[in-house]
Amino acid sequence: MTERTSRRRGFLSVPGLWPFLLVSALALGIVLDGVIGGDQLQSANPEAARAAEMAAALDALPDGALVLVAMDPDLGTYPEIRGTVRAVLDDLLGRGARLALVSFTAEGRAVAAAELQRLRAAGVDPGRLFDLGFVAGAEAGLVLSVTDLRPAAGTAPASFAAVAGGIAAFDLALVVGGVDIGPRTWAEQVTPRLPDLPIAAVVPTFLHPEVAPYLRTGQLVALLGTFRDDAAYLLAVGAPSGVRDATSSPGELPMLLGLLIALAFIGRAVASHRPGLGTAAAREPEEPA
Amino acid sequence: MNGLVGTDVAGTAATWVAAVMTVAVWSYFTGAGRIFRLAQYLLAGLATGFLVLVSLREVLVPRLVSPLLADPAGDLIPWIGLALVGLLVGARWLPPLAGSLPIALLVAATTAFALGGAVVGTLLPQLGASMLPPAPQPADLVNGAISAAITGLVLFGFLHGVRRGRVAGLAAGTGRWLLLGGIGGWLGFLLVSRLALLVDRVGFLLGDWLGLVP
Repeated sequence: MTERTSRRRGFLSVPGLWPFLLVSALALGIVLDGVIGGDQLQSANPEAARAAEMAAALDALPDGALVLVAMDPDLGTYPEIRGTVRAVLDDLLGRGARLALVSFTAEGRAVAAAELQRLRAAGVDPGRLFDLGFVAGAEAGLVLSVTDLRPAAGTAPASFAAVAGGIAAFDLALVVGGVDIGPRTWAEQVTPRLPDLPIAAVVPTFLHPEVAPYLRTGQLVALLGTFRDDAAYLLAVGAPSGVRDATSSPGELPMLLGLLIALAFIGRAVASHRPGLGTAAAREPEEPA
Repeated sequence: MNGLVGTDVAGTAATWVAAVMTVAVWSYFTGAGRIFRLAQYLLAGLATGFLVLVSLREVLVPRLVSPLLADPAGDLIPWIGLALVGLLVGARWLPPLAGSLPIALLVAATTAFALGGAVVGTLLPQLGASMLPPAPQPADLVNGAISAAITGLVLFGFLHGVRRGRVAGLAAGTGRWLLLGGIGGWLGFLLVSRLALLVDRVGFLLGDWLGLVP
């Protein structure tokens, strides 16, 4: 091995070099995305069926609809859907709906408290925004809430008097899901008890394969479950408050760069380490006849 | 305005804390394990404190203590809850049977809800949706056939410990590849999800903290 090759390998094995390069590439992508702009790159799904389904679900609401927002995202993955959730909430408020936020996980409660604070600071009419707090018991708590979703005594404004009737009193349930409690839990625990309650959902991309089948069965009336569907919805309704740009959140160029880098890493891994499946080493030995 | 020169003190402080903690977590890649561990401890401490606060403010006080103080004879359920809490807290000093009662109830109730919901809310509706309609279109037939073939081949892939001929071996191998393809697809969703989060965080540092991008 020559000294030059050795020096090169030594540089490439500097701790943190590859993550640093990845972050640098993404940072460059974000800066260039802002500088170049334009419509050359679009993250919105050209087949905007999911965005249209969400819009249709909101269109079907009556005037002054009572909407239950079940905020149970994971703290770690919420930033991916934050813009979409805010856009849907803004859309609902723009249509005159009354929102009641409830959480069945402690993490979701933290997010719900922050979103409530944001909406109140934005000047949303207190009579149209209500905090139902945290309901303990996970799935058991959710089942109990079907018939009994009591706010703390004296905290409910008059416009939310119907809340005492439980989830059945709402015109729509908007489920912001995470790993613990999400659209699947709602489809399993609430839909069998309230088959007429429309449920719409917003989930991070990684939950999409788990949740999408419920859309096909009609247990969900709408689902925004991928990065591209989120972008399509944001494009349709416009930027919510607190999101930089409706069409580029998190940004097309950095996403493209990141995916290309990921593909390069996968290609390198495949080239240097052939997967065992299908090879003689990993194949199960056939039993003698 | 950004986190470096903001006029809102609370907002600026929050941005600085978030930015510093982000960099602290990323320092793990450079081998700075102590800083990363500190960030972990901080997260664990904050999460524990938040959970205690939520439990007290939104569960124990309004749903257990207040009803008992307001009307001790009104409802039996809070008393049962209190007794179970007492058993759980005092499990260390009580006979094993008494201490395990609340745990057993918790596990049994959770399992019952999860299992019942999975059958009624997932298994049966999904089976129903997989069945062909009474007058199927050609596309339905093709979709159904492909679904059935993939399901059968993947199930074959899990067939272990039985005699397997060449055809069955080929089917099992195909099933394992299909399974791998499905897992790969799921990992693709996971990759996009995590990449969006990373881009969001880098964007936060560049925009909200440093003000380099609008």
